[in-house]
Amino acid sequence: MSQRQKYLLSVFFVLALVVASVYLIYPPAKSTRLGLDLKGGLHIVLTARPLPKAPVTEETMERAKVVIEERINKLGVSEPEISRQGSNSILVQLPGVKDPREALDIIGKTALLEFRPVTTSTAEGLVLGETLMTGEYVKDAAVDFDDFGKPKVDIEFTPEGAKKFDQITAEMVGKRLAIVLDYNPKGRTDEEKGIISAPVVNERISGGRAEITGDFTIDFAKKLALVLQTGSLPVKLDISESRTVGPTLGSDSLRAALIAGIAGLVAVVLYMIFFYRLLGLITAGALAVFSTLFWGTIVATNKFTPLGWTLTLPGIAGIILSIGVAADSSVVIFERVKEEIRAGKSFKQAADKGFTFGFKTMVIADVVTLIAALILIWQGVGPVRGFAISLSVGIGIDLFTTFFFTHPLLSLLSSSEALNKSLLLGVRKGVA
Amino acid sequence: MKLEFIENKKYWFWLSGIVISIGIASLFLRGLNYGLEFKGGVFFDLSFKKKIKIEAVRESLGKLGLGTSVIQLVNEKEVLIRTRPLNKDEQRKVVEMIQSDLGELEIRDLKNVSPSWGKEITRSSIAALLLSLVGILIYVSFKFEFKMALSAIIALIHDLLVVVGIYSLAGKEVTPATVAAVLTILGYSIYDTIVIFHRIQENSRNIGRRTYGMMVNDSINQVLVRSINTSLTSILPVVSILIFGGETLKDFAFALFVGLVSGAYSSIFTASPILVILKETEPLYKNLKRKYGKIAY
Repeated sequence: MSQRQKYLLSVFFVLALVVASVYLIYPPAKSTRLGLDLKGGLHIVLTARPLPKAPVTEETMERAKVVIEERINKLGVSEPEISRQGSNSILVQLPGVKDPREALDIIGKTALLEFRPVTTSTAEGLVLGETLMTGEYVKDAAVDFDDFGKPKVDIEFTPEGAKKFDQITAEMVGKRLAIVLDYNPKGRTDEEKGIISAPVVNERISGGRAEITGDFTIDFAKKLALVLQTGSLPVKLDISESRTVGPTLGSDSLRAALIAGIAGLVAVVLYMIFFYRLLGLITAGALAVFSTLFWGTIVATNKFTPLGWTLTLPGIAGIILSIGVAADSSVVIFERVKEEIRAGKSFKQAADKGFTFGFKTMVIADVVTLIAALILIWQGVGPVRGFAISLSVGIGIDLFTTFFFTHPLLSLLSSSEALNKSLLLGVRKGVA
Repeated sequence: MKLEFIENKKYWFWLSGIVISIGIASLFLRGLNYGLEFKGGVFFDLSFKKKIKIEAVRESLGKLGLGTSVIQLVNEKEVLIRTRPLNKDEQRKVVEMIQSDLGELEIRDLKNVSPSWGKEITRSSIAALLLSLVGILIYVSFKFEFKMALSAIIALIHDLLVVVGIYSLAGKEVTPATVAAVLTILGYSIYDTIVIFHRIQENSRNIGRRTYGMMVNDSINQVLVRSINTSLTSILPVVSILIFGGETLKDFAFALFVGLVSGAYSSIFTASPILVILKETEPLYKNLKRKYGKIAY
């Protein structure tokens, strides 16, 4: 295969990818997943607080995530997204939630069920000792009614839990054992402390079954059973960030970002055509290819991989910036080509030499930007990460487009005699 | 036409020095305006059916002991409120109180950040910044040479100081997006520097009857159009965000804009002269300077 054929093949290959991308993207409104900042909804960051009996580990965090997923599924929210963030946080995104309060109530409930001994009883309520056991050993829970028609929650322990509970109750016969949900030592009343009930242990309980009774409503009993069924969280989670975005702000931001993106693209293209003439047109083509491939990559990531790529506002900023990076690549190469033409080379010789040198500079410069972006992905949190991911993928697609599209196209055009007129390139031969 | 970038270096250093000194002075006197994400607190963006007055909002908040909150009108029917950290129930009370005092409203945005989360963001941002600098230093040393890496890093620190100083002067709010912007500036600023250094490295092989400084000056002149164009193509999209991007993106674009301008400047006027100073301590280039230093200028 001749060099010319190779170049043609390469250009067609890229164009085929562009067609595939357009096919994937269409219809755009459905294929692109927008972040909450763009379409409205509730966004919560939960951060684990280590407790002596509930340490924060990889395993407990992973389990906490599963528990939250189950709970949200029971809430019936469409397209929820739950993901781990850093070593100790979980990000929950609930798009289009109308009433964020209910969601916050259920998710915010850490539902860390604990059994704690009552040490003293004061006028301000009970004083509790250290945790003896947590809800992680609960296998199942159900609402039931006692002989007087009052709601209660029956719980069943796992075999290991049954053994533990047996031991605890054996030691505590005659004493009071408090059942606490989301213990808050600063609470002023028993209720604020999270104490559900604190019955006296009459006898050792060996069967692996227990019941929670107390002065509570059927609603409370249902909620309690639900959080116990889905598993109480193995760690204590605090809401470290919550954000509710109304639908109007979201669509306003999206419109602004789109206008900014298109205006940026048009400005760069006009400038390039003004300054580089024919070469500028190649840039316009390369930028169109770049943008379509970028969008296609986002949609393909969502479609074919388990990784979700949700477009957020900082993410769009990253994309707009990578338009600048992509244009930079063209400039670096074209300037080198012009230099070679000025030195007396033909367009064809200049195109090849310019690319070889220009591409080298471009790769080094791109790698440096990539270093900064990757460190941001690794270290950054929240919005900063979304931005850095867009930027790094943008750099990758830019290198790809330059190598497989811009350069072959430049070479093919440079061998055409008609185009060898220097006027078209915005350069005068032999003038330094 | 040939411009003298290296010969006039003391003027560029003075210019940088003055801009940075003003910025640092402002940093000490005024400090930085840290956003919600760093301090913790609650941010409300509320829009109303009827026109509202800022005093009425303040009065309403005063009933809950939040009269000292930062209140800002976006337009006649929309208000931004920043309060100290509040729990869920307190947030609800704020919305209910304002709704009962000022009429029906829509919550456009409600953001609640705990102070510890802000610390986490700060910690990770500083870590990312330092690691980036180290990463760049190692990569550039490996690809070019240590003295070039050092000059590039000094130019980067120059850009950081300029951005932080101007941020303090302008009183702009510092958010995680600002941090992202600053880190991108690092990438961009070094992009420009590398385009020039790559040419310097190429030209240093046939330095001929020139001093190192003359050769660097020639190199800058050779790639000047390219540097201006890469900077402009990067700045154009940023300007587009500045004009059309909506409030959140505008602040972000502002940091980028200042950083890009500073980055384009520092590649030519800071990094290159410093490289010349560093290199001309080497015996080979000292010698060249003694021989050819007086002619050609």
